[in-house]
Amino acid sequence: MAVTGTLNCQAAEGLLGAWCDGELKVEQAEQVKRHLAVCPSCRSRRVQLERLDNTIRAVLQRKAQEVRFDLAWAGIEERMAEKRSWAARFAERARLAFEMKRLRWAVSVAAVLLIGILALPDSYKAWLFDPGGGRTRIDSIDPHGRNVAVFRERETRTTVIWLFPDEEWDDEVKEESVSNNHVL
Amino acid sequence: MDWNDQDLVERCRSGDHAAFRELASKYYHKVYMVILSILNQTEDAQDVAQETFAKAYAKIHGFRGGSSFYTWIYRIAVNLSFDARRRQKRNPVGQTETGEVEESETGSLAGEPYEDLCNRTLGDKILRAIDELAPEHRAVMVLRVLEGLSYKEIGEILGCPQGTVMSRLHYARKQMQEKLSPWL
Repeated sequence: MAVTGTLNCQAAEGLLGAWCDGELKVEQAEQVKRHLAVCPSCRSRRVQLERLDNTIRAVLQRKAQEVRFDLAWAGIEERMAEKRSWAARFAERARLAFEMKRLRWAVSVAAVLLIGILALPDSYKAWLFDPGGGRTRIDSIDPHGRNVAVFRERETRTTVIWLFPDEEWDDEVKEESVSNNHVL
Repeated sequence: MDWNDQDLVERCRSGDHAAFRELASKYYHKVYMVILSILNQTEDAQDVAQETFAKAYAKIHGFRGGSSFYTWIYRIAVNLSFDARRRQKRNPVGQTETGEVEESETGSLAGEPYEDLCNRTLGDKILRAIDELAPEHRAVMVLRVLEGLSYKEIGEILGCPQGTVMSRLHYARKQMQEKLSPWL
């Protein structure tokens, strides 16, 4: 309905609620205001409308206060716990653990060190793990028999066969020869 | 958004449980009244109200702050309320397993069995009159009169144009005035 010029009572009544709520455009609000200035019955309707709203508000506010939040909160918490999936709980625990500043620092440093070590060339790795040497590296020790060890060095392809005294074997041999002498 | 609400929402996102409790205690009564106005059943309204806040907590990370927190939570509440109302229609309250219909409790805002209107206090009469409105009219009445929301905010919450909000409110007020005029 186009509202131009002055309003009649029917049109004004239709806009009265929105006017009281402050929801009309400026031009419409002015028209309603001008009509109210000259129409006592519409002024009376406005008073009734405001009284109705105020009374409803008071009654509903009183009704709302009957609700006990503490009881409701217990129910809300229960539902919140149900909604959290195991993945969310795990992620939450991991997040809280990682938030410990010391742990976060230590993990970061360890990760950087590990990446750095793995990225090193082989020669540097050798120096790192064998700082005193680097001249000779023992690649394998093969225990052949009881007093022979074979050492193989990869770079120079050197093989060393080491005959070392086996004290246990020597003792056994001595015991055997002693007993044989007795028998003899 | 209210600065305090904004701060509380940020703390909720960091997992601050106490901040969410503070938000819930601030808005629970208001949200409950809106839900009750749509559902007309106290127990269902309590369930939906608790579910509303539990859902809000689960989705707090998705809240971008484009609207105010209370608009956002009212929207959740209204959507859940209309879902519950559809379930109510499919499974009417008070229908036994044999299909017999029990005496239903009418007007949960009033909260009492129906009596002669003249014997009630004005507050009860008002609550009864609100109960007799259609849910969509009750919802706009509560959101405007109790919560003081603008037509734009109400439209966002209910998912309808401002013009629809204005006409529903006009109709609801007219109905209320007709019912309560002898006592106001």
